[in-house]
Amino acid sequence: MRIVYLAMVLYLAAHLAWMLAREKSFWKQAGIALVLVLFILRLFLIQ
Amino acid sequence: MLEEKMQNRSARARRAASVIFFTLLIAAITILAGREFLSMRRDDPIFPSSGLTARRLLSDYFPPLKGGPGDTPVFVFDGPKKGGRILILGGTHPNEPAGYVSAVTLIENIRIAAGTVIVIPRANASGFTHSDPQEGSPQRFSLETPSGRRSFRLGSRVTNPVHQWPDPAIYVNPMGQELAGVEARNLNRAYPGKPDGNLTERVAFAVMELIRHEKIGLGIDLHESAPEYPVINAIVFHENAADLAAMAQMDLQADGFEFRLEASPPKLRGLSHREWGDAAGIKAVLLETPNASHGRLKGKPSEALVVEGKDPNYERAAKLGRLFVPFGPEGIPLKERVARHLAGVRALLKSLSELEPDNTVTIGGFPAAEEIRARGVGAFLK
Repeated sequence: MRIVYLAMVLYLAAHLAWMLAREKSFWKQAGIALVLVLFILRLFLIQ
Repeated sequence: MLEEKMQNRSARARRAASVIFFTLLIAAITILAGREFLSMRRDDPIFPSSGLTARRLLSDYFPPLKGGPGDTPVFVFDGPKKGGRILILGGTHPNEPAGYVSAVTLIENIRIAAGTVIVIPRANASGFTHSDPQEGSPQRFSLETPSGRRSFRLGSRVTNPVHQWPDPAIYVNPMGQELAGVEARNLNRAYPGKPDGNLTERVAFAVMELIRHEKIGLGIDLHESAPEYPVINAIVFHENAADLAAMAQMDLQADGFEFRLEASPPKLRGLSHREWGDAAGIKAVLLETPNASHGRLKGKPSEALVVEGKDPNYERAAKLGRLFVPFGPEGIPLKERVARHLAGVRALLKSLSELEPDNTVTIGGFPAAEEIRARGVGAFLK
């Protein structure tokens, strides 16, 4: 179950990283960055 | 054409710069937040008294827990003379600080003249590694001790979901009782545990193994509850311990402590005061003190609320007759709650020695309730 969870989080985190690279608006990038932090913390099972 | 190319190049450069900026920002925030969260996984140091005879781990009684998030220290105090064998649990619910601090206070002060006392201060070790979501609780609280300020973790009522996930929609505990899904992570719903169950059930099973292996005669589980909860300032007892609890209550009342007696409901399964008695046949008792910091009526959660226990909302609720304990402007501070717990433990041990002289447990260095009230609990910590 943990592997499935981590795979889901990795998939969504990769999507967010891709969006961060493609996004033109500075403020939208800022929003994506903040969400990405939470996904990275989840990815490392920190919180 | 050239101008368009230049503009595109400049836009790409700006975007590349902002991506680099945000990548660095993400790394910085992740590291800072990660350090903060990971600091919750460090165990608070405990400095046992010279009376300690052995320091073990819960996994010594159930090896599959070894090295995992459910493993936790077990402090053994053996006296030179034979006597009763007692288990004291703190930290079953890590958001109930008086239970945890009372257990630590015992470990740092007691010396045994007769009998054996085994203390587990962080029964649900995993619960200490996170905080309850959406509560805004402080991560730590601190107490002034003779060697300076010392901080303690304020954890969550339940096992960390990082260690046990996902919760079922409905949790069926080892005794077949159906409960809300989150209760799958509540140690005090998981007894008598299961050797192949979820982490919380395995911890419960390990505690039962300890009880059986160490031939425990009396188990005391230290808790706190919200002032609006009816089972409060109470001794909850298994029917095996009815005489013991009644005698202890009389002693406590004589000493000025109001305690009510609550019989463990036979149909409420999975709790320590029920299953320790049913599954291991021991005298099982649970003590409750009032903790404003995890009640539903509390104001802003803060370290001061945990330690000083003052809250205007609870004062108002008391005036409206909505609480089960008196609650004045002085609040119910941690020192008072620890004093109550330790007075309760002392009264139970005294009653045990009167009911069963062969199972007498004689403890030296036991902090007196009046002294804790007067000097604060920090005065008894190292």
